[in-house]
Amino acid sequence: MIELDRLAKRFGPVTAVDDLTVSVRPGHVTGFLGPNGAGKTTTMRIILGLDAPTSGTALVNRRRYDTLVRPLHQVGALLDATALHGGRTARLHLAAIAQSNGIGRRRVTEVLRLTGLEAVADRRVKGYSLGMKQRLGIAAAVLGDPPVLMFDEPVNGLDTEGIGWIRQFFKELAGQGRTVLVSSHLMSEMALTADHLIVIGRGKLIADMPTAQLIAANARHDVLLRSPRAGELAGLLTARGATVAPQPDGALVVTGLDAPAIGDLAAGHGIAVHALVPRQASLEDAYLDLTGESTDYHGSLEGTPAP
Amino acid sequence: MSTATAAGAAARAAAPPIAVRARDLLGCEWTKFRSVRSTYWTLAVAVVTPVGFSVLVAVTLAAAPARGAPPDPLLPGLLSLEYAVIAVAVLGVLAFSSEFGTGLIRTTFAAAPRRRAVLAAKAAVTGLVTLTAGELVAFVSFFAVQAVLSGHHLGVSLSRPGVPGALLAEGLLLCVCTLLGVALGAIVRHTAGGIAATLGLILVPAIAGVLPAPWGPRIGRFTLVDAARQVTALHPQPDLFAPGPSLLVLLAWPAAALLAAALAITRRDI
Repeated sequence: MIELDRLAKRFGPVTAVDDLTVSVRPGHVTGFLGPNGAGKTTTMRIILGLDAPTSGTALVNRRRYDTLVRPLHQVGALLDATALHGGRTARLHLAAIAQSNGIGRRRVTEVLRLTGLEAVADRRVKGYSLGMKQRLGIAAAVLGDPPVLMFDEPVNGLDTEGIGWIRQFFKELAGQGRTVLVSSHLMSEMALTADHLIVIGRGKLIADMPTAQLIAANARHDVLLRSPRAGELAGLLTARGATVAPQPDGALVVTGLDAPAIGDLAAGHGIAVHALVPRQASLEDAYLDLTGESTDYHGSLEGTPAP
Repeated sequence: MSTATAAGAAARAAAPPIAVRARDLLGCEWTKFRSVRSTYWTLAVAVVTPVGFSVLVAVTLAAAPARGAPPDPLLPGLLSLEYAVIAVAVLGVLAFSSEFGTGLIRTTFAAAPRRRAVLAAKAAVTGLVTLTAGELVAFVSFFAVQAVLSGHHLGVSLSRPGVPGALLAEGLLLCVCTLLGVALGAIVRHTAGGIAATLGLILVPAIAGVLPAPWGPRIGRFTLVDAARQVTALHPQPDLFAPGPSLLVLLAWPAAALLAAALAITRRDI
């Protein structure tokens, strides 16, 4: 269980986390979603006691992180998989972390096996691929067998097989009753991994709900319609309560009625229909709708000085 | 993996005694220390260079025609320590700066939120190893140098009053410099900057020595370089602190630096 209460973090004039109140519950994989720079990493650092909040509190299992004794038995975290000393082997890297929390060598071997790193455990990590480093980071996070786990962008650098493995792994961890918080800036990834979503933008909470509900609430459904008697049909549709948006090319975009209803209506009035296309906004579109207002860095070529 | 909550509850229920937690952190830092190559390289430089160099100085001293007072028989050993000082300062700085540089420090502080305890563990591990290496250098250099000098009737024996103390102090000097490095690595958080700051702190105050009398010695006696000279010389200079107070000066520098580091690492975001 992770509880944030009116959490705020300011770096000078920049507000990275803004009055964030949210609980992350056990038994679920909770996606922590937001565009780059939304404050996800800062929030995780505050939870781990690395950054001090400007105001508000972050509690793990009802305690402040810096009061935990042998904290790896309570919380395991992967913030940055590349944060390693390249000259150290995976086994000794894990052994050092394990020792700091009174965890034995047998557990080190166990997590190496669990993450599929056994064969390369005695190699210097500078030769590791990003995917292997992610696995090593996950191995470190589960060393203390903690009830709360946090992963910051764990999918980066993993290949397809690795991504499948990690999704399954998170689900297993949640299935054992653990609290699993996984951050990402990719909605499509989170839709497959998380069953609950916390969406933030510019440090503010935007949504906190089950994944399915978030998708249903934000997905747009409309119907693209072409007809030689578009104007006449638009009047009939509006009378039925639909919203009609005429497009520059003469097509109509209809919301509020589904395609069969529109087709039936047109047929009933003897109006020919040349195109009737139900359209569904992608998850990514829904996510952009949610966070569009709060993206810090909009990519744009306008206003860029000519070279 | 199915015992998560039980393990968590058990860990919460029984907070281990402080001695166990100290052992945990010392073990962790020892494993980190011995598992990277840079440790062995810097220690090799710290041990081999001064021993070789001191023999060379001794040969030169023995070959030079005697003019005025005979040279301090411990001088070759002290002169050659400068190389070891640089190596152990680097070793000390790396204890923190290598973790800040890679970001590993976040893993370290997440595993051990009591940051001052981490500082203490790093200082203890690096300091003890360097103290051992320092004493090794001091005594091996001594015997090598005296083997050269005794042929020219310039040498001293270990049993002469003042000699064992001076040699022990030479070894301690390396420990002092590495602890300064540990502290400044934690404050500066950057390898090159930390090394520059450490060597600067050791060497720059020595400028006081060229101030006109009586200010030179009056200020100089508080510097590391002069304090080191006083505790390691067979014939301390009369216008500086006696070896006893000089030893306190020598220990005050790393103590102050570690105190500053303790304040810095607990107040800053990581």
